[in-house]
Formats: sequence, structure tokens, C-alpha cells
Amino acid sequence: MLSRAARPALRAGAAASCSPTPRTYATLREIEQRLKSIRNIEKITNTMKVVASTKLNRAQRAMTESRQYGQTSNTVFEQAETKPLEGDDKKTLIVVASSDKGLCGGIHSGLSKKVRRMLVEKPNADIVVLGEKCKAQLGRSNSKNIVLSFSGVGKDIPTFADAQAIADQISLLPNDYSDVQIVYNKFINATSYEATPIEAFSEEAIANSPNFSAFEIDDEVLANLREYALSNSLFWALAEGHACEQSARRNAMDNASKNAGDMITKYQILFNRTRQAVITGELVEIITGAAASEE
Amino acid sequence: MAFAWKASGLTYNKYLSVAARVVRRSLKDDKRLAAERRGEMELRFAKWNNGKQGDVKSVADANAAAATEAASTSS
Repeated sequence: MLSRAARPALRAGAAASCSPTPRTYATLREIEQRLKSIRNIEKITNTMKVVASTKLNRAQRAMTESRQYGQTSNTVFEQAETKPLEGDDKKTLIVVASSDKGLCGGIHSGLSKKVRRMLVEKPNADIVVLGEKCKAQLGRSNSKNIVLSFSGVGKDIPTFADAQAIADQISLLPNDYSDVQIVYNKFINATSYEATPIEAFSEEAIANSPNFSAFEIDDEVLANLREYALSNSLFWALAEGHACEQSARRNAMDNASKNAGDMITKYQILFNRTRQAVITGELVEIITGAAASEE
Repeated sequence: MAFAWKASGLTYNKYLSVAARVVRRSLKDDKRLAAERRGEMELRFAKWNNGKQGDVKSVADANAAAATEAASTSS
């Protein structure tokens, strides 16, 4: 949005600087207006940056906690050496953990790209989309694969109740999926994220895992374990995705403010030069007028 | 089946969320407010059919409806 709004002004500014003097009064006013609007945009982006920074701290704390939680929950499957079932007859479900809000750089399109790459490998996989942004992107390219979409994600730090409700709806889906891949943005550091899948397994896959007997799980509770593990992983993915989004928004807004600052200095210089040119022109007119009337 | 909640048509996650809600509500007032904020959920969802988005519904309402339906069919 920002860049689109700023571009015509830039073009007009370049045009004004290379075709001088004839309409100086008009351009002076134009430059002033543009300066004002860029200043307003800078104020907005700066505020959004401050808001995102404060939210980022809380989001990062929630992320480290939930990551610990999700990893602990997945330890069972690591120890049992669970692997997704091989076989083409069962379907894969891809859960995309994005959010509702934009203005945070390319993290949503990064997720969409990752999902599209996964869909090339498994063209009949179904998709569940969390969040409006990826829904819009994937809805354009792969709308046939989408079975469920959720909105209202990522207004605040995701709660476990959110993750449970989503896991609940997923388990109510009519199809039986051989494995569930949750695609989320992995937080590597404050400036880089990577779209990564977490696996959540089906009951059969868990039951067939090599070290499964070590845990002495009854068949009856296996379904519970699977549902619970799904919501644990979802919670992890949502919290980490949320932290990534806040951090990405902070960076994007930081850059936007910086660019606005650059433009302001450029326009300020242009404005001063034009004003000076107008004054000089007027002086020249007066002096020549006076010189002409003296003779 | 050994579980009463499963017989009444709840999923494990639903059972957990009901149990968690009960625990949150039985806390003392000051702690309860903070805890209940952790239990909030305002998701909306839509089912997609053949590349078309269906109606947007609130998850909480749909869950309640599904639970009553499951209860009536299983009992």
C-alpha cells in the first residue's frame, strides 16, 4: 500500500526537478503538499513500528514457551520413531498457519509459496488455511484443494483454546488423512524466517512406529493422544508464526519509516531550492525593472 | 467404551476445553480474570466445497451444534 501511494509522488518529483522554472509557484505548493503527506505516512508507520515492538516482546515469550511445549509433546513420536505411512491411497492434509493482518513484509507469501511447492509433489493434498492472508493467496491459485478456512487468527497472542478449536474442527473433517503437515514460519532470528512443516501423525502411523511398544499405550486412548498432539503442534505453530509476524511487521515498518525519512530530506532540499529559485527570479525581475525605469 | 465423555459425543479436545473452563471458573476472582483471558476464542471458519468458500460461521456456535448432534445420534 505504502509503496504504491508513494510512487506517483516520486515520479512527479523527478519530473519537477528536470523541467525547471516555468510553473514554479504551482510546483512549490505541490512539493509542500507531498512533504506533508509523506510526513503523515511516516508518523503512521512509526506508530505501527512502536506497537509491533511492544507486542513482539510478549509474542516472543509466548513463542519460546509454546515451542518448548510443542517439542516436549513431539518427544513421544521421536522416541517411538514414528514415520508417516508410505502409500498413495491416503491423503495428506496441509495446515497453513498464517494470520489475518498484512503490512508485515513477505512472510505470508513465503508460506503460500512453500505450500504451492508441497502441492506440486502431492497434488491431491487437502489444505486447511488459518488466517485471511494466505486464504486470499491460496484461494486464487489452489482453491480446489482448500477444505476449511479459519479467520480471526492472530489478533492477539494465540491461546491454546484457539488451537484446540482448530484441531477439533480438523478432526471432524470427513476424510481420514495419513499425515497432517502444519506449515508455519520458523523464527530463526529477528530478520529471517523459514516456512517449515511440522508433522502430526495419524493413529495408524503412531501404532506402526518401531518403538511404539515401549510406551504401553492402550488402543482406546490412542485417538486421544493423536488429537491432543495435533492441538499441541497447532498451538506451537500459531505462537511461533505470531512472533514471526510481529517481528516482520516491526522490520517492515522500520524500513518504511526510514524510506519516508529519506524522501522527506530529499523533498525538503528540493523545496528549499525551488523557493530560492523563485525568490532569485523575482529579485532579477525587480532589478531589471528598476534599471530599465532609471534610464 | 470406557469414557463417559466419548459416549456422549465429545472429542478429546472438546473434553479438555470443557475441563479447562471449569477449572478457570473455579479460581479466585483476581486469578480468574487473567486465566479466562487465556481461554478466549473468537475464531470464525468456513467450509470450502469445490473451490468455493461456504458460509462463515463462528467456531463456538458450530462446536455446540456438532456436540448436540453427536450426542443425539450416539445415545
